[in-house]
Amino acid sequence: MESIIAVLVLIAIITSASSLWYGLTVASDVSSLTSSVADLAGSVADLTTSVAGLATSVADFKTTTAADLAQIADDLAEIADRVTKVEGALTPTLTVVGPWSGAEMDGFLPILDRFETLSGINVRYKVQRAEDLQTLLPAQFAAGTTPGDVIFMWGWWIGQEAQNGHVLEVTDLIDEADFLGGTFDQVTIDDKIYGGAYTGKVKPGFWYRKSFFEANSLTATTVNSTWAEFLALLNDIKAVPGIIDPIASGDAVGWPLSDITEHFLITFGGAQLQYDLISGAANWTSDPVRGIFEDRLVPLLQGNFSDPIEWTTAVDEWWQGDYGLYFMGSWITGMVDNATDLGIIPLPGAEALVLPADYFFIPTYSENQEAAKELFQFLISEEAQRLQVEQGGHLATNINVNLDFYPAADRMVREFIQDYAIAPDLDDTIGGEFQTTFWDQLKGLWVDPTPAVLDAVLTAIDAVAP
Amino acid sequence: MIRIARAIPEAKRNPWDRIRRGARTLRRFVRARKNIPLFLSPALVLMLFLVVYPILQTLYLSFLTPAGEFAGLSNYSEILARKDIIDVDGFPRLPPLGALVHNVIWIAIHLPLSMFSGLALAIILRDVKGSSLVKSIVFLGMVTPLIVGGVILRFIFTKGVGVVTAFFSAIGVEQLGRTWTGLPDTALFALIFGSVWLWTGFSMIVYSAGLATIPKEYYEAAKIDGAGPFKTFRRITFPLLKPLNIVVITMTVLYDLKIFDIVFVATFGGPRKASTVLAFEMWLQAFQFSRFNSAAVIATLLTLLTLVVTIPMIRYTVNR
Amino acid sequence: MKLNKTTVLIHIIALVVASLWLLPFLGVFMASIRPFSEILDGWWVFESLEDVWRLSPNNFLEAWNHDSWPLSRGVLNSFIVAIPSTIIPLLVGALAGYGFARFSFKIRSYLFLTIVLLMALPQQSVVVPLFQTMATLGLIDNYLSLVLVHSAWGLPWIIMFMRNFFTTLPIEVEEAAKVDGASDFEIFYKIVLPMALPALASVVVLQFMWVWNDFFLAKIFIYEDSMLLATQRVPLIGRGEYQVDWSLLSAASIIVMIVPIIIFVLLQKYYVKGMIGWTVKG
Repeated sequence: MESIIAVLVLIAIITSASSLWYGLTVASDVSSLTSSVADLAGSVADLTTSVAGLATSVADFKTTTAADLAQIADDLAEIADRVTKVEGALTPTLTVVGPWSGAEMDGFLPILDRFETLSGINVRYKVQRAEDLQTLLPAQFAAGTTPGDVIFMWGWWIGQEAQNGHVLEVTDLIDEADFLGGTFDQVTIDDKIYGGAYTGKVKPGFWYRKSFFEANSLTATTVNSTWAEFLALLNDIKAVPGIIDPIASGDAVGWPLSDITEHFLITFGGAQLQYDLISGAANWTSDPVRGIFEDRLVPLLQGNFSDPIEWTTAVDEWWQGDYGLYFMGSWITGMVDNATDLGIIPLPGAEALVLPADYFFIPTYSENQEAAKELFQFLISEEAQRLQVEQGGHLATNINVNLDFYPAADRMVREFIQDYAIAPDLDDTIGGEFQTTFWDQLKGLWVDPTPAVLDAVLTAIDAVAP
Repeated sequence: MIRIARAIPEAKRNPWDRIRRGARTLRRFVRARKNIPLFLSPALVLMLFLVVYPILQTLYLSFLTPAGEFAGLSNYSEILARKDIIDVDGFPRLPPLGALVHNVIWIAIHLPLSMFSGLALAIILRDVKGSSLVKSIVFLGMVTPLIVGGVILRFIFTKGVGVVTAFFSAIGVEQLGRTWTGLPDTALFALIFGSVWLWTGFSMIVYSAGLATIPKEYYEAAKIDGAGPFKTFRRITFPLLKPLNIVVITMTVLYDLKIFDIVFVATFGGPRKASTVLAFEMWLQAFQFSRFNSAAVIATLLTLLTLVVTIPMIRYTVNR
Repeated sequence: MKLNKTTVLIHIIALVVASLWLLPFLGVFMASIRPFSEILDGWWVFESLEDVWRLSPNNFLEAWNHDSWPLSRGVLNSFIVAIPSTIIPLLVGALAGYGFARFSFKIRSYLFLTIVLLMALPQQSVVVPLFQTMATLGLIDNYLSLVLVHSAWGLPWIIMFMRNFFTTLPIEVEEAAKVDGASDFEIFYKIVLPMALPALASVVVLQFMWVWNDFFLAKIFIYEDSMLLATQRVPLIGRGEYQVDWSLLSAASIIVMIVPIIIFVLLQKYYVKGMIGWTVKG
């Protein structure tokens, strides 16, 4: 008797657990289905009222003037819109997976809304960070499923997964002439393009406050100054009362420091050195590379750079005058209260700058490939990128986006980069263990810039480099 | 329904009772055999599928290449040769020394410190008014989620906002006034000392419980004999607490081997891998770089270490 | 209580110890009730009396209603996971513990020993295959996988603990009940379990706190932002998007740790008995 009871209890536990699980999945399906039906019902109701309105207008037509004809035309246009929406409610929904949440997400959703209006295809946005996708996607792809139709991910990773057959080829959707040189390099395998480029941010050099410099009679160096002049500027900044260090170093997982390092490498080794390090043609322990560290970066680390500070706190402290210069990406224009007070000082002699774009791709397992391709083309188009740069903090990879659409500070940045070539972001392009190690080692170099540590750091980086 | 019958007095020595008792025992035995599956199987099933089988799978994975071919011990030799696991050139020196070495250092520092301070606290707080409050405060660290513990550690060792760095700055030791978790030299030690602060409560509680079982008469007798506090400790307290040592040692070493949360949130293994530990490296390999076979190797190594540590304790308790 | 030198000294030491141990918690608490801009040089620095008026629970509200990772949701999710993860192994483990305590069968001691050994193992030894299995079953980002793994992981220590407890119960009561014709399951359910309430309380307290405090297993199985548990949101808030500050992070940390601390304060007796019970055998 009791064994039966126990078996029943066990069955009850298993059934309730599985029904809980099932219920959760069904519940979400049911709720999304319910909201689609609700949308449909709403659109149909709206349609009915519009039709009623039109009927009234037609009845009044006998005694109306030409102006009323225009009114009728408006109503017709509205009906057409609503019909599009009704159609949209019946077509499949695209899912876009992106890393942005909070304020950044709020800046991206309007572009998706615009696409919905233009195409009538519903788009749903889902947040998923790249680090998490890196763990999840391989398992999902192996099972033949995908969490989204258009997924934003690191460029190098897209290229890697393309070689595993998980990414849709999109060469026909892109005309590279519309874009900044080298934009699609990371996502191109054997002359076939697998990923799309959205907007990006540039790392143009050291930022400073023009008002701060004026108040302390400092003159900003330019790309045409000499190294000695740059060092003299740092000395002058050091003399300003209240300054802790001339240059603030940002701390995060490590990318602020790698951005600085790449700027040094590209300036003193040329963009070609960057390409060689990416491809593996150059060694980290070789003399040219070592020389740049030894002669340029490390001397500055010994007294001009601060210890790494939380990078968003660093913005505040630099803005209020604790530091003179701060190397950061162009998104800093959205983080300060007066972006027009910003100025840029690149390293003397720099000829190329790093402009990493946000990349996205269509998995081969998407069930809405045609619709996804439409979204793909929209995102790389001038219209989408224009809408995005208008929000501030973005730079378009599409060269057809007119300068006028940029907010003031971003326009300054966009104009600034006209004279420079664009180089790929080193650690973003190689990715994987290299990136983690690169960041981790640089953090160690920053706090302990001695020759022995430099050797250890370069050796460790070279060990994981291509 | 079921009446709770009174136990049958042994006084009855009726031969029929013996037979009845025998029949009861047989019935119980038979019933027991029938019911074992009922009582044990849910637990055994769950543990079999979600614990035992995965352990074996991990072991199996550790001998395969990513392509699925048998690789013998080459995975192991490859992992053990890596600098993030063992890097002892020029030892003794400061970290980075490799995850395995870091775990060993962790044990070497954390174990004696927390044992000693736990014992000392248990003794000191024995007769103090309000001792339960103080003990609770010390024990808070055990109750805190380790991810929060890691945040707190990072906080107190950060330049400017942290108490430890402020203290050292104030007394003039500027090198220790920098953020400990940002420097390769000090990152590991910040975490180790922090873990002492977090986990001393455990040994304190265990020793407190042990102390409470020592009869007061022993101490009174010792006082009558004129023994001072130290002699009392050496001759009475310490020997009686010895059985607890093995428990404290085993549990503490197990904690030290399994550290992950603290490292993840406070230093992410760095800088320059100066504070990484085995559990963290395993997670990196599996869930950042998708190298499941390497991760399986590290996991198996960890498992072996924990078994090595646990077996003495089990043998000890079995022999009691 | 004699007021001699030793007693006074010991009390002073106890006070110093308590203060030292409390200091980091105090720091986190102070950081959480002050705006970050004011504590850049130390939470103990009050530049003017005004700063005292500015103590406020703002950081808590901000953490609770955070833009991207609200702790309100995190706390709810943690409860959703912790409650079944406590109840299931409690029932299943008590059953098994009783089985080990009262029934004898040939392989009993070997089986029990294996289970005790399982207690020591690191979670790292199972997560890689478990992740792959759950991914294949589509149970990633589904609490069912997490609950099952937590339940299975809690079973070894719960079985050991309950078994040790059951062996301390006098067997006569159960034998008497058997005489009256009760089945084993009825004995377990109606007689033994009620007697085991203190032990069950300890199990509930310990297992709940263990699951609540867990970060590693949650990180393996749950990725979707809305489903993240409370512990997972702490490092995310710490790394932040735009504004990351110690004050917000401190407030978030306190919210997450307040639940186990409250449980500890209210049910300390059971917690301590539980801790000692399963590490120090009877």
